[in-house]
Amino acid sequence: MELIKPGTRIDFVGMMKKVGFLSIALIIISLLSLIYHKGPNWGVEFTGGTEIHIKLKKDLELSQVENILKSTGYAPKAVQRLGLSGDNEYLIRFSPELVKFDQIQEFQTKLEGIMKDNPEFEGGLILRVDYIGPRVGSELITKAVISILLGCVGILIYVMFRFEFGFAMDAVIALVHDTIITLGAISITDKEFSLAIVAALLTVIGYSVNDTIIIFDRIRENLRKSGKSSFREVVNEGINQTLSRTILTSVTVFLVLIPLFILGGSVIHDFAFTLIVGAVVGTYSSIFVASAIVILWRQRKSSAT
Amino acid sequence: MRASRAWIITIIAVFVMSLILLTPTLMGDSLPGWWGRLFPDRGIRLGLDLRGGIFLLLGVDSEKAVDNELGSIKDFMNTELKDDRVLIKGSEKSGGTLTLQFFSKSDLDKAKTVADTNFSDISDIREKDLSLTFSLKQAYLSEVEKNAIDQVKQVIENRVQELGLVEPSIQKAGADRIIIQVPGASQKDRQRIIDIIKRSAVLQFKIVKDSGPTEEALLAKYGVTAPEELEEQGLALHKGNTGAENEQFFITTADASVTGESLSDARITFDDFGKPAVSFNFKGEGASKFGVLTEENIGKRLAIVLDGTIKSAPTIQERITSQGRITGDFTTDEAKDLALVLRSGALPVPVTIEQERTVGPSLGKDSIDKGKLSMVVGSILVIIFMIIFYRLQGVVADIALALNMLFIMGFLSAFGVTLTLPGIAGLVLTLGMAVDGNIIIFERIKEELRVGKSPLAAIDAGYSRSLWTVLDANITTLITALILFWFGTGPIKGFAATLSIGIISTVFSNVIVARIITNLIYQEKKVQTISI
Repeated sequence: MELIKPGTRIDFVGMMKKVGFLSIALIIISLLSLIYHKGPNWGVEFTGGTEIHIKLKKDLELSQVENILKSTGYAPKAVQRLGLSGDNEYLIRFSPELVKFDQIQEFQTKLEGIMKDNPEFEGGLILRVDYIGPRVGSELITKAVISILLGCVGILIYVMFRFEFGFAMDAVIALVHDTIITLGAISITDKEFSLAIVAALLTVIGYSVNDTIIIFDRIRENLRKSGKSSFREVVNEGINQTLSRTILTSVTVFLVLIPLFILGGSVIHDFAFTLIVGAVVGTYSSIFVASAIVILWRQRKSSAT
Repeated sequence: MRASRAWIITIIAVFVMSLILLTPTLMGDSLPGWWGRLFPDRGIRLGLDLRGGIFLLLGVDSEKAVDNELGSIKDFMNTELKDDRVLIKGSEKSGGTLTLQFFSKSDLDKAKTVADTNFSDISDIREKDLSLTFSLKQAYLSEVEKNAIDQVKQVIENRVQELGLVEPSIQKAGADRIIIQVPGASQKDRQRIIDIIKRSAVLQFKIVKDSGPTEEALLAKYGVTAPEELEEQGLALHKGNTGAENEQFFITTADASVTGESLSDARITFDDFGKPAVSFNFKGEGASKFGVLTEENIGKRLAIVLDGTIKSAPTIQERITSQGRITGDFTTDEAKDLALVLRSGALPVPVTIEQERTVGPSLGKDSIDKGKLSMVVGSILVIIFMIIFYRLQGVVADIALALNMLFIMGFLSAFGVTLTLPGIAGLVLTLGMAVDGNIIIFERIKEELRVGKSPLAAIDAGYSRSLWTVLDANITTLITALILFWFGTGPIKGFAATLSIGIISTVFSNVIVARIITNLIYQEKKVQTISI
């Protein structure tokens, strides 16, 4: 069965300008969202403090949850929903000053009391309690940033080793493009930027370059063979020939990620969301963006000589 | 690649091995008893987020360890120099440096001789005016810190073991941290576990000199305003918790010639009124030291100092060598726990809780169920998809996928990788990524067929031409998975581990297993067309 008819000739290269606008627009929107929210919604592992994950019987407004907690003396720093709307699960964060490590027991006991006594919270469960000390938090931020950088560098080196430097730079530019837009999506939907999300981002980095490599591989092979066609034609042909492959490999990943997103439960929900967005953007960038950059690069090189 | 014997045997061997390793997980409690004698009988280990339990990250105060070390150097100098009739005028500790001040140059010289003889290998020793400074050498500092954390780990292990918890795990993390995981512990257990772990449990035996109701009055009696100044007189101040109203504070000897290190055992017992108490035993050198202490001080009161507070101060009636008792206001649980920490040894330095996570059991079970469901639904979708798009080869890919997942689970079992919720997500992701390699290869085969190659030649060309593409695609994901493994802790590490193992197994499955199955189907047949 053929997804894309062999011999399809879509002029991807010709779409470069429109694609360029779209990409730049997406990047700007993402950066604006990040600036507006003052950076990502750092999870408690990075900021330090206490975080609880509760499941209530009733569906309450976020402000209701906040007020009930405030009235017992524990004013939350942030309250969010987790998972799908029917889950009634909430993620509540408290600042580091509010609950110190020797007060956690008291805090948990009080919480359990609220769960039993408060009519709105009745029948609710405390699923998880996390306390992060200040030292751990700041170390983790450093580690997270280093790993993302290392990831990009590692891939740059590998692609350089397998292809040429020009291709490697394109792969990394496409990567940065994907990362920013995925971060933007997380920021706009105000998802908690937790350790798990960083893990998802790193996975997206590793995975999205796959598509790009498949296409580069074919372009390189065609370059060896072709004599008369222009560089643009060779690139176009490469993308078209691998179109089936590129789309189908992405589809299989969606086939597993979407059940994970819907059925996987609240804890893994945001993680799946990041992977899905990353996969979509990654595929888009492999088909449209990476090759465009290759061509621009070549043009600059040849016009410079 | 013919369907060579070697590869087929390898595949079958790995298959059987994976089944064996997975049997404990699949059979759960109905695993027959004899299994453990022949094969590994541990199933896949579940992480805390799937089992519920408590995770603690403890920070070890290594600065205090250095401080203690300097303290023992000072004590040694003190004792040695007393024989020479040299008194230390004053002392100061800061950072990794100890400064001792002397009254005269001749005192200083005598001290320097003693110091050089005993401490020149671990410390730089310098003279300045009438002071002697000791700066611990870097290599020795590292050793002190390492010993401290090793000792803390040992003490904690002793204590946690006695609690009888299910499979607790205690590991060093970095140079000054310890990770403790207690699966299955609930919030109720939490406080007790933390109390027991954090308790210093430093037991000292000193002689009581005086006591009184307030700190200020007592200090004034000895002509000082702060407790530290008592050190010069060879005395120390301790809070009292003996239950006597007018004995809130005690003055005792500064040094403790007998400490909890000399204990050989500690047990819960009951005092003459039937109230819970803790009895302890001495052995060997400890017994003789205690004998000397009690013999020299008959009629005086023995201060039993626990973590800096005097729990009780009985009058010494006679020479005691082997046994003693701590009475006080204990509940049965408190006495039991105190005996436990005394048995396990004192913590050489204090520990702080830097991170803590308590996961309720319901979340764990829920996560497992949902994880399994997504995996099943995802698998079904992928399987159907492959058959629709690649027909018979799709079936081949599906069989290879099933074997792949089996191998991965087997490896997880073999390497003792802990499965976490992100780990399950990693497995699901691997499922989707595993067939990518097949797709790359199959699309290539289709192209070769279109160009006009014969079916078998097309299969050959397809596999060989796309080999590097498949490797490239998987290696890049592997690079990030390995970085994640280094950077992550707990659940993230589990995700990185499953992803990495998944990628390696996938390459094997895409390139070799699928190929072998295809060859088995088509070998020695005249093939006109292939179903792809």
